[in-house]
Amino acid sequence: MENPSRRRVSNRGIEENTLAILDATGVKDTQDDNDDRLAFLEAVRAASIVPEHGTPPTNKMLDAIFKILQSGKSVELIMASYQLLSEIDKHFPRVYLSDVGTSDSSCSTPLEVVVVQEAWSPFVPGLDIASSEREAADRKFDGPIDSSGFHLLIQNLVQVTEETNFQALGLKSMGNMLLFQYLVNVLEGDFLPRNSVYRETMNWNLLRESLLNMLLGSRRISYKGLIKDCLFIVSTLCHVHVGFVDDVRSSENSAAKPYKDSDTAVAVALLEVEKCTCIAIQRLLVMIMELDMSKKKADMEGHTTRADGVRTPLVEIILDELTYNKDILSPFLQVFDEPKWKLEIVLQYFWKYIAKPSVRTRRSNGSTDDATLDGVLKCFSNSTSTKSIIKKISTGVAQLLLAHAFQAYLSLSSQQHPVKSLADSEEVVRGSSLVEICKSVISAFHSLRRTDEHMEILPFEKEALFTAATILSTKS
Amino acid sequence: MMDTDGPLDFESEDLIPVSPVLTKKRKKIIGLDDLLTDFYKEQGKAIERESKQKKVKKNHNWDDEDDTTQTIKEAKLSQFVDDCQQKMEAISGEDEISSWGIPVFGNQKTPPSLAFPELGSCMLLQSFMKNEINSLVELSGEKVHFCHVAGETFLDGLLVNGWLSKLVFTCGHVEKSVAKWTFNLMLYSSEEEVRTAASDFWCGILSSKNEVKIDWFPSYSELKRALETYGFLFDSLSNFSSNSELVHTDSDCGRPPQNIRAWIKLVGGCCQVRCKHSIFSTSEAEDLLGVIICLFLDRQLQGLSMLMYECLLSVISFFTEEEWDNSCEKVAKSLACRVPRDLNCLRMVECILGVDARSKLLKSTVAFEILIFCFDKEVSGAEEILRFLISINVKERSCDLFKMYIYLVLTENWLLTTPFLEDKPVIYEMWGVYLRNCSCQITSTDLRTYASKVRNRASYLLQDTVKK
Repeated sequence: MENPSRRRVSNRGIEENTLAILDATGVKDTQDDNDDRLAFLEAVRAASIVPEHGTPPTNKMLDAIFKILQSGKSVELIMASYQLLSEIDKHFPRVYLSDVGTSDSSCSTPLEVVVVQEAWSPFVPGLDIASSEREAADRKFDGPIDSSGFHLLIQNLVQVTEETNFQALGLKSMGNMLLFQYLVNVLEGDFLPRNSVYRETMNWNLLRESLLNMLLGSRRISYKGLIKDCLFIVSTLCHVHVGFVDDVRSSENSAAKPYKDSDTAVAVALLEVEKCTCIAIQRLLVMIMELDMSKKKADMEGHTTRADGVRTPLVEIILDELTYNKDILSPFLQVFDEPKWKLEIVLQYFWKYIAKPSVRTRRSNGSTDDATLDGVLKCFSNSTSTKSIIKKISTGVAQLLLAHAFQAYLSLSSQQHPVKSLADSEEVVRGSSLVEICKSVISAFHSLRRTDEHMEILPFEKEALFTAATILSTKS
Repeated sequence: MMDTDGPLDFESEDLIPVSPVLTKKRKKIIGLDDLLTDFYKEQGKAIERESKQKKVKKNHNWDDEDDTTQTIKEAKLSQFVDDCQQKMEAISGEDEISSWGIPVFGNQKTPPSLAFPELGSCMLLQSFMKNEINSLVELSGEKVHFCHVAGETFLDGLLVNGWLSKLVFTCGHVEKSVAKWTFNLMLYSSEEEVRTAASDFWCGILSSKNEVKIDWFPSYSELKRALETYGFLFDSLSNFSSNSELVHTDSDCGRPPQNIRAWIKLVGGCCQVRCKHSIFSTSEAEDLLGVIICLFLDRQLQGLSMLMYECLLSVISFFTEEEWDNSCEKVAKSLACRVPRDLNCLRMVECILGVDARSKLLKSTVAFEILIFCFDKEVSGAEEILRFLISINVKERSCDLFKMYIYLVLTENWLLTTPFLEDKPVIYEMWGVYLRNCSCQITSTDLRTYASKVRNRASYLLQDTVKK
């Protein structure tokens, strides 16, 4: 590991030279201007990334690269600036883990978070300051992003999902989607190392100062509004333009339009960029839920103060949204495939409607310790409790939730998805063996059928049953 | 009278072929230049209209003196219109020079049928038929046996909804029929949900850390066949320089199907698992490396560049240490002899990111090989190349500065990423001399196209080398 202080020594000479390339670029945006911008990006790459011990770009240079991504003049510039920023973050992380002591005894020595304080960030420091100067309405996405700018960007993505006219889905929306992906990468790069050290050291300050925590704590955004927008995007973006791209091709052929590379390039990449945007939103949601979990721990340990504020846990907001907005229940669960949190969401959904044993009182922290898949499946084992669940959430929803819970359970048990902490997954999977769970899932569906004879089993649930039965036949 | 009519008719004829260019340009971003030419055109039309009206009047007037001023006006107008046209041609000409791009896809071929009768007999469905739970799912054995469609739609659902991969990971086994079936869907299905699900399935099983037994792997020839079906022109590079006009004007200049995304991901995935399954031979991997780099040259695929970068790195990491030096040179040579010596060859070098030792070597080698091919005469060795470059007199008007620009950028990429010349200070001294030639001998008032580009690039690089 290089010496971090040396790594951040700014190199004025490179800064002057590379920025000089941009001097001639004006407001006209001719081909020449765009060539100069590309040459600038290439020069920064050559100075910082290519050499073995390259110097990190200075803040002014990074500002310039970020502005190129924000202004999105051409597909080439958007892709090149996004790529370069991602690589710079990889080479010169703002926050990283460092071993205390020697590197070979990595297991025993505690890790420490190294925060490069003077490092450039696409976010306004503190995330709140600049917005008072500018009205949110006429912001033009120029310069560092503050909390309201971040929300505005998400609202723009909502507009993308509502767009049905292909021509309007041009460069602008593609630029916005990549900008959003980059910002999520930055939030993640800041949050993940802090959170993993927090788990070991319980030092809440690490997370209190994380970009994500500051962003969500900002009073300039409506936190719930932001989450609702995210859920809406996750549930719609991946489906909305499917079949759309192929239409464009056929209509373009018949009209024999002249060759326009920016439009065709956007059309070819649209579905891929939208898919990546969906994944980015999912990562954002997972991060927030992890933060909630850590915060709850800190609350219980008494590490938080009143200044930390109160924020409704994301899982609760998602549950409310899924309960009252039935249309997004199925698409959301279909797209959201991070198994640990998917299982958590589904189980808590059930748990809200399952009659709790009267003896036990709810603990003050709203413990969900009993909410394992096993526990939920047991409720379907007798007809009285099955009936009471169906009465509350309908057979259709009960089936859907069971199937999704089972799917998430399978992912966790086969460890297909990289589960961040082994302990977490064991906690969820503990209790019953895979074979028992499969049996219980099948018997739960039988129980549903007995209770509601006219129950129709939809394809997704049939597939769940098929999977359970097939696993049983191979494992037993 | 007929004489004075002459130039006017000629002018209006001249204007006609201009208009398609204009509409074509308007589709792009409307720049100030376009607005200006539009304005001039309108103005020209107004003058023309006016003069025609005057002429109509004059038909009754027969005034000689008026007639001569009229002729002067008309001559001026004709000159003006000519100027406009020239300017516009210059603008469009510049556009063509200053962007790279080779359409690497032609017309798509009919994809193979996706019907897959073998699937009905796969163990997965068979074992289920015997299960008593079938009464709930109602997937009757009869249906699957005699009508494959029912079984297939059911399996489609299993795939799209993610159950198939859960099953495979839990059971640790992918049957041959399932592997082939998902492979075909991934590369040829026109339904987005199906092809991405199949692509995720394959990426999942290839990169899985679990022990998953896969009974069938795609072969290089199958991947190549898929590319052919997408319309990939394997000789697009060599043909481009000869019939570039033809390709550009072709209105249904091909666009690959969305399955190309799955193809790119699959190639990357297959290359990463060489230690477990050897899917490609070394020479096949070399071919694939060449294909991926060609994909970067198509402007339509720019938006997929993140996918292509990842794939490129995976293919590069495929080779063993012993193979790499040799393979790298082979790929570079084969690309260098085919790529046109214009901005496309610079794009080719720049799309190879020098992020690690291997990609740096590839970048440097490709730049070097193209440079060798650029020179008409036989040159070999680094010193000889630089001596030749230094000998070019950039002050001479006949000196082709566009070529100089190409040489300059190629040499830059070759020298700055090569690992071989570190112990040869003389090379870097010569590089410095060459840069000084380019930056000092071209004046800032030089109006030749590319004069400023060569000069600016050289002086930027010069400052960099001085510091070292």
